[in-house]
Amino acid sequence: MKVSLTCRVNGEGVCGTIEPSMTLLNFLRHDLKLFGTKEGCGEGECGACTVIMNGVAVNACLVLAVEAENTEITTVEGLSCGGELSTLQSEFIKQDALQCGFCTPGMLMSARALLDRTSDPTETEMKEAIAGNLCRCTGYVSILAAIASTAKTEREGEGRK
Amino acid sequence: MPQEHFRHIGKSACRRGARDKVTGQAMYVHDLEMPGMLYAKVLLSPHARAEIVSIDLAEAKALPGVKAILTGEDLPYLLGLYMVDKCILARKEVRYQGEPVVAVAAIDQATAKKAIALVKVDYRILPAVLTLDEALEGKILVHQDINQLDYIKNVFFPQPDSNIASWNKTIKGDVDKGFAEADFIVNNEFSLPAVAHAPLETHVAIAKAHPLSKLVEIWSSSQSPFGVRQMLSKAFGISMGDIRVVVPYVGGAFGGKAGIHLEPLVMVLSRAAQGKPVKLIATREEEFNQLPSRAGMRGRVRSGVTNEGKITAVEVTFDWDSGAYADYGVNVGRAATYSGAGPYEIPNIVVNSRTVYTNKVFSTAFRGFGHLETHWVMERQMDLIAQQLGMDPYEFRMKNILHAGSETISGEIITKYSGRPDQCLEAVAKEIGWTGWRSPEARDDAFKTGKVRGKGVAALQKAPAIPSNTSTSAIMQFDDEGNIRLMLGAVDMGQGSNTVMAQIVAEVLGMPLNKVRVIWETDTDKSPYDWSTVASKYTFMGGNAVIRCAQDVLRQMKELAAQVLHCPVDELDHANEQIFHRQHTHKAIAYKDLGMGYTYENGNGIGGPIIGRGVYMAEGLTYLNPQTGQGLPALDWTFGAHGVEIEIDVETGDITVLKIASAFDVGKVINTKLCEGQIIGGVLQGLGSAIMEGHKFSPDGRLLNPSFTDNKIPTAKDIPTQFVPILVENPQADGPYGARGVGEHPMISVPSVIASAVYDALGINFYELPLSPEKIALTIAKREADLKGQQSALQKE
Amino acid sequence: MLSEFNVVKPQTVEEALTYLERKDHITKVLAGGTDLLVILRRSLKMPDLLLDIKGIEETKRLEFTSGVGLFVGASVTVNQVADSEIIQRKYQALGQAAQTLGSYQVRNRATLVGNICNASPGADLAAPLLVYEANVHIASKTGRRTIPLTEFFTGVKKTALASNELVVGISLPDPSSGDQSVYLRQARIKGHDLGIVGVAVRLTAYQRFLVAISAVAPTPVRLFALEESLNDQWNSPEIAVFAGEEIQMLIHPISDVRASAEYRLHIAGVLVKRAVALLTMTGGT
Repeated sequence: MKVSLTCRVNGEGVCGTIEPSMTLLNFLRHDLKLFGTKEGCGEGECGACTVIMNGVAVNACLVLAVEAENTEITTVEGLSCGGELSTLQSEFIKQDALQCGFCTPGMLMSARALLDRTSDPTETEMKEAIAGNLCRCTGYVSILAAIASTAKTEREGEGRK
Repeated sequence: MPQEHFRHIGKSACRRGARDKVTGQAMYVHDLEMPGMLYAKVLLSPHARAEIVSIDLAEAKALPGVKAILTGEDLPYLLGLYMVDKCILARKEVRYQGEPVVAVAAIDQATAKKAIALVKVDYRILPAVLTLDEALEGKILVHQDINQLDYIKNVFFPQPDSNIASWNKTIKGDVDKGFAEADFIVNNEFSLPAVAHAPLETHVAIAKAHPLSKLVEIWSSSQSPFGVRQMLSKAFGISMGDIRVVVPYVGGAFGGKAGIHLEPLVMVLSRAAQGKPVKLIATREEEFNQLPSRAGMRGRVRSGVTNEGKITAVEVTFDWDSGAYADYGVNVGRAATYSGAGPYEIPNIVVNSRTVYTNKVFSTAFRGFGHLETHWVMERQMDLIAQQLGMDPYEFRMKNILHAGSETISGEIITKYSGRPDQCLEAVAKEIGWTGWRSPEARDDAFKTGKVRGKGVAALQKAPAIPSNTSTSAIMQFDDEGNIRLMLGAVDMGQGSNTVMAQIVAEVLGMPLNKVRVIWETDTDKSPYDWSTVASKYTFMGGNAVIRCAQDVLRQMKELAAQVLHCPVDELDHANEQIFHRQHTHKAIAYKDLGMGYTYENGNGIGGPIIGRGVYMAEGLTYLNPQTGQGLPALDWTFGAHGVEIEIDVETGDITVLKIASAFDVGKVINTKLCEGQIIGGVLQGLGSAIMEGHKFSPDGRLLNPSFTDNKIPTAKDIPTQFVPILVENPQADGPYGARGVGEHPMISVPSVIASAVYDALGINFYELPLSPEKIALTIAKREADLKGQQSALQKE
Repeated sequence: MLSEFNVVKPQTVEEALTYLERKDHITKVLAGGTDLLVILRRSLKMPDLLLDIKGIEETKRLEFTSGVGLFVGASVTVNQVADSEIIQRKYQALGQAAQTLGSYQVRNRATLVGNICNASPGADLAAPLLVYEANVHIASKTGRRTIPLTEFFTGVKKTALASNELVVGISLPDPSSGDQSVYLRQARIKGHDLGIVGVAVRLTAYQRFLVAISAVAPTPVRLFALEESLNDQWNSPEIAVFAGEEIQMLIHPISDVRASAEYRLHIAGVLVKRAVALLTMTGGT
């Protein structure tokens, strides 16, 4: 039996009618057509489905859509603002922190969540924040560089969040 | 080659497609939806080998929303790149746990999953062939009909009444004479398990195949759109003219998406569902369990060496545990015969490379195409020989390494344009501060602290393993603003090929980079042909094709401008997006006024639009002699080396890589950042094989780790403390700006160099991968226990 | 893809218990969902109802009362436990273990109580909770009961919880100052991984040892026999080495896809030795 769902996604109020068993990941992709968030394993192991829910990074494949009732969700589509890339996205491009791009949305969200809770993360904190985001292409070095350079830019009050 | 100042070549231009990827706009086949699309699900075999007695589809068929159900009996087609040995769905017999048996297409995923759950299959379990030795014994045949299978003759050699899908050989010189000349002979055996590609985007394909229209359209996460087109035509007997394959963004591939995988299945499902689009997404479990892996392999090698450290003879047998179907596996086995000895001069050699069938998930192409595996064997052997010689392993390698004038094991002469493995080895040794193996005393002292350090070096080589007539092509056209649209047949799956090709075009035409657009989606109906995006061949082949394409455009523009400017073509030059007269530079016409043809003041139009084309076909490559493996298979060699320093916790067995230096002679770097990205990513993937990765099977042949829970790949916490990519540039004379490929090479010899450093640290040699904490710790513990036992025995005396 | 079930989100324990009382429904409790959703995805049989307890105020409490102890409600996440200053200060092993569970994203949803109720033999948080002599607070229509965690695990993925009962939280007594503990864990990789062995050792201010270990038995276990031996020789300079050898006599791990029994034995010895050494600053490495 379907139920109604109300939440905010990327700053916009959203309403839906869904099966209770639907995951947040499928709701974002199939109902809202926000395809940026990816399914890599469906089991919370790879992090490709990472979104920010009420300020914390979560694997959307392990959250039921109904659990997102009255929450604020941010996906990769919500990172850019006013038609401009955020600093984080620009730094990812500058540092070449991506190759095939499939892990990238989830990686960006884990990075964003990290920088939202600490403006000067240590290398250990950065690695811990993205250890749950598997990348088979880059070797992670450029990703860590992009997070560090974003942190620096944001600390200096420059750039766009 | 003179030192030139390049505008774009060698610069770290931003990656094409990055904006789409960081904004979530890039669409992968995972994301594609079409009107009326159905979703497919498959039922996998639970048994490694069994007879299919009966399949009851009644309940599944009756489920509302199910639009098509197929079993192997509905599909009398056989597929295979080289050995035509595989059904689309298992017929009569299942040959590996994970083989698809039944496929369903339904209105949504939930219905498809429910329908699969309602299917009842009755199996009669049969004894399975699960190890190389069982397979070689041949008591049970994985393919009872191996003698009747169709295959490519004179390239592959299936052995009758056996499980050997192909037995390829290289015979060069006279090994008996070589061994007689040796002062001593070293014999060893090494092995490594099957490993998963683990791309973040699993395999996925959509097909639209109306039963009456004959037209087949496929969207696939694939490295080989043109290959898929050809294979579908061959398998189903339909004209290639009626097949279209489209590849948008691809979420990683590493060789696992070369060839053909889910496409035939979705095609037949779509036909059965009245032409509705059918999408099949492999779950992560199916990615591990149903889709192919890298083969497991065992190598037995015998080397003859003089006291001075010269290799006189090598005899090696590579046995590839290739699983239930030959797929690319037989070609991996074949490639080992001309490249499987490492970058060394070996005057006398016999290579036996046997691709063996077993009842396990089958193997396919994987980054390195067998070279990580053969280098595990051969580089370990180099270390063991050096140990026996009492020689520095670096010096020993340098003594035997290929140089200009050397002959490879397939009879090719290395020239000064082939690349310099010695420079690569020297560079990494210097970077890690190599001074030779530490002494047993130094090892013992360090051991007492509980943390030991070690260093190692290893070398590598690979040439693309491609058909001798492989080709690629490029097309470009202008718009009114003078932007170029470049169309390529290769797939940019993250390696950055589109960026590199754009840089080359911009360089030849002297244009700003942002005016060269590369069309992203590869569509066999619209894109120019490329054989397949594999083998680290595309920078070389595509680069050359694209240079010719850009030069073709220049030539056409100059011919057109010559008419307008009333001068000979050879007096024209190009710069700043203009064609102009060398002397009378005011006589100039902008590209944008030529690209769509030229229009005179009186309205006459001539010469347009300008469409550029460029092709490159591999030149001068030959088939390998079926008996001796001699020939010219190598388009270009890329040589390389790694040097590593590690630290081992002797109680837990954990290895920490402190520094890994990786050098490759790439000829000419087109894009430094992309090149380093390939190196760092490939080295980490190699570390995965070295320390943590590998399929595990139960005694009855079931895959025990079909998920990331137990099939671990490196995370951000597993990276070395320091990566040092080193780019050596000795130009390839026939490469674009002197460039060679490097996509696969960073993985090769990584496990070998780690094992080398482990020996330095512990004085223990390892012969099997992965070098897990468990393996290291228990081996050390056993050695300590044995030592204690010996000591107390001595004390008792 | 999950098949159909309904989800309810009661606001009180009483409301939750009413659902659990129903015999005509198969009901599963949903807290963090990081174990449950994986199980549902992999299985063919679906429950009828998921009971989302995160709306119940009582289960959200993470409170320390001096002289009494710590209460961790059933909805408290593992990251909340890892970030808690009082837990880092007073229940060190618990804070350390919380940091090793899954990945950062998983820890934002997974709950401490969920980890215990899932009752995997390798439950990451079990060993620290055992050495702090945790109690499990259970509610049912017939009332409330509290049982020690040592009695809660009854077998592989089995607990003493009846189908009509709900765990509302776990409590840990207040350790006195000078009490120290450490959690050590071995996995296959440095990134997130299930533990091959997890060891928690606690040394109270009165020099009493408590030791617990996970992934070497059908359930996480307190090692009372080892504790006795250690307490007998608490001031021996060789105590760490002794502990590492002794534990290998007391456990009987199995081999599985993650590790062999032999390595589990070996590494249990190493980790116990190191943990005891850290706490006593004597012997071992």
